[in-house]
Amino acid sequence: MNGKPYGAGVPAAVTIASLFLVLPVIVIVYYAFNPTGLITFPPRALTWRWFVNFFTTPAFRAALINSLLIAAIVTPLTLAIAVPTAIALVRRTFRGRVALNGLILSPIVIPGVVSGVAFLNFFTWIGLAGGFWRIVVAMACFTLPYAVRALVSVLHGLDTALEEAARNLGGTAWRTFLSVTLPQLRPGLLAGAIFVFVECIDNFSIAVFLTDLRTSTLPVEAYGYIRDFDDPTIAALATVLIVQSLVLVFVMQRFIGMDRALGFRQ
Amino acid sequence: MKQAPLVWLLAPAVIVLAIFFGAFFRFAADSFLHQIPGTAMMAGPASWGNYRAVLVSPLAQRVFVDTLRMSLEITLIAGLLGYPMAYLLARSPSRRVHTTILFVLTVTFFAGGITRAYAWMIILGNNGPINRALREWGFSSVPLINNETGVVISLIHFVIPFFVLTLFATIKNIPASLEEAARNLGGRRWQAFWRVTLPLSLPGLISALLLTFTITLSSFLFPLLLGGGRVQMVASLIYDKMQNSFDMPASAAMSLLFLILSLIPLSAISLVRSTLGRRFGGSRR
Repeated sequence: MNGKPYGAGVPAAVTIASLFLVLPVIVIVYYAFNPTGLITFPPRALTWRWFVNFFTTPAFRAALINSLLIAAIVTPLTLAIAVPTAIALVRRTFRGRVALNGLILSPIVIPGVVSGVAFLNFFTWIGLAGGFWRIVVAMACFTLPYAVRALVSVLHGLDTALEEAARNLGGTAWRTFLSVTLPQLRPGLLAGAIFVFVECIDNFSIAVFLTDLRTSTLPVEAYGYIRDFDDPTIAALATVLIVQSLVLVFVMQRFIGMDRALGFRQ
Repeated sequence: MKQAPLVWLLAPAVIVLAIFFGAFFRFAADSFLHQIPGTAMMAGPASWGNYRAVLVSPLAQRVFVDTLRMSLEITLIAGLLGYPMAYLLARSPSRRVHTTILFVLTVTFFAGGITRAYAWMIILGNNGPINRALREWGFSSVPLINNETGVVISLIHFVIPFFVLTLFATIKNIPASLEEAARNLGGRRWQAFWRVTLPLSLPGLISALLLTFTITLSSFLFPLLLGGGRVQMVASLIYDKMQNSFDMPASAAMSLLFLILSLIPLSAISLVRSTLGRRFGGSRR
């Protein structure tokens, strides 16, 4: 054979691009432990101060709790909606299936700001006032495509023989679903849950229009803080989110396999 | 055999779609009303006034053009940086290289928007490492944030994972043996790439570029934080309009014009998929 299909230039270019990608992650973690707002190298001292500041500021605590609660409600809710939807899309044939698939995926491609303002207008019109439930409903609509996509990709790869066997042995539709289909869907459920959860915690463009004086979320609160203050408190928040990201990537790698979680392989 | 009725399976999704598209129908209807001055209320009669106002506004025109231009720049640079990544991810025989690239992409991706936007504010800021190093070496500092440079750099960073992960599957599906054949027949590596791999990856490349373009077009947090109020993109313009005047009908008209603009590249994707895909094979997924 003729050796590698690419020269040394390719790995070199990829190394540069990778460094560009990880640079902000490294700098922000370093900054979070920096005693002052000025980055010094080598570090004069390290401090937990900004983490303490983040976790003891009442506004951030409230926003953190809201964000986690919203994610804790939206993630199972979205998955519960997505499972029957994905099964219908993959296992059934009906008129308008392709169109329905397109409609379900469409919230992903609509700019977040447009959805945000449209939801604000809609919730004002129907009289849903509380920021918390407005965000829950909006995020459930917005994240459904992520969960459906993850489940559809797993369902396509499943062999229906197992389900047929269960049915032939006298299992009811419901029994078969619970003890045969659902366990096989686990990788899709996990991947979908991770994508929905991350979107709930990180979403800014929709949430910023739906928060009110009593209910804020982490990114919205962080945005307000960045505009008013110039210290590394948000770097501490960013570090917490980076740790969360590492944990999620580890879970994906360990329990689903990265290729499958990202939808490359079924 | 008895199956669960289709209606039951689809009912939850139909409710979600009804809320989502209900919101958009209401939004479209309200875009033809006008704000009662000094209030957050709307009134008729219906007219195209809000749409006309957006289309003739010099500010809106400038921001739409700027947004398109910046998105184009960002997409092209992200494509240049991302293509080798997707290629190596697909072709490297080393498991470790594969895992490392995926790790870098997913960790940055899952770290979220606010984390990355803030990190770039710190790196590129006037007291950030770059400008302090410049000053220490006797140069004058360069303004890298509160201008387009900062928005462009941070957005390139934001979109690379989307680009690479979209393109990767296509390159993976091109049999490596085709490149080998080209090289065995005496072609150089770059010729094999230029004449075989690149054309075969075209459908995926175009889809990835259009997706990247769409994501950039609708970016919001990055112009808001790194533009420092001096760089407007359409999304931040809509936000400002809502913040300053709470003029819902006018914001709705601008949002819907923006929506139409942002859906053009995506309609192009499906067109590319159906025409190029048929001609080249490559990415039939």
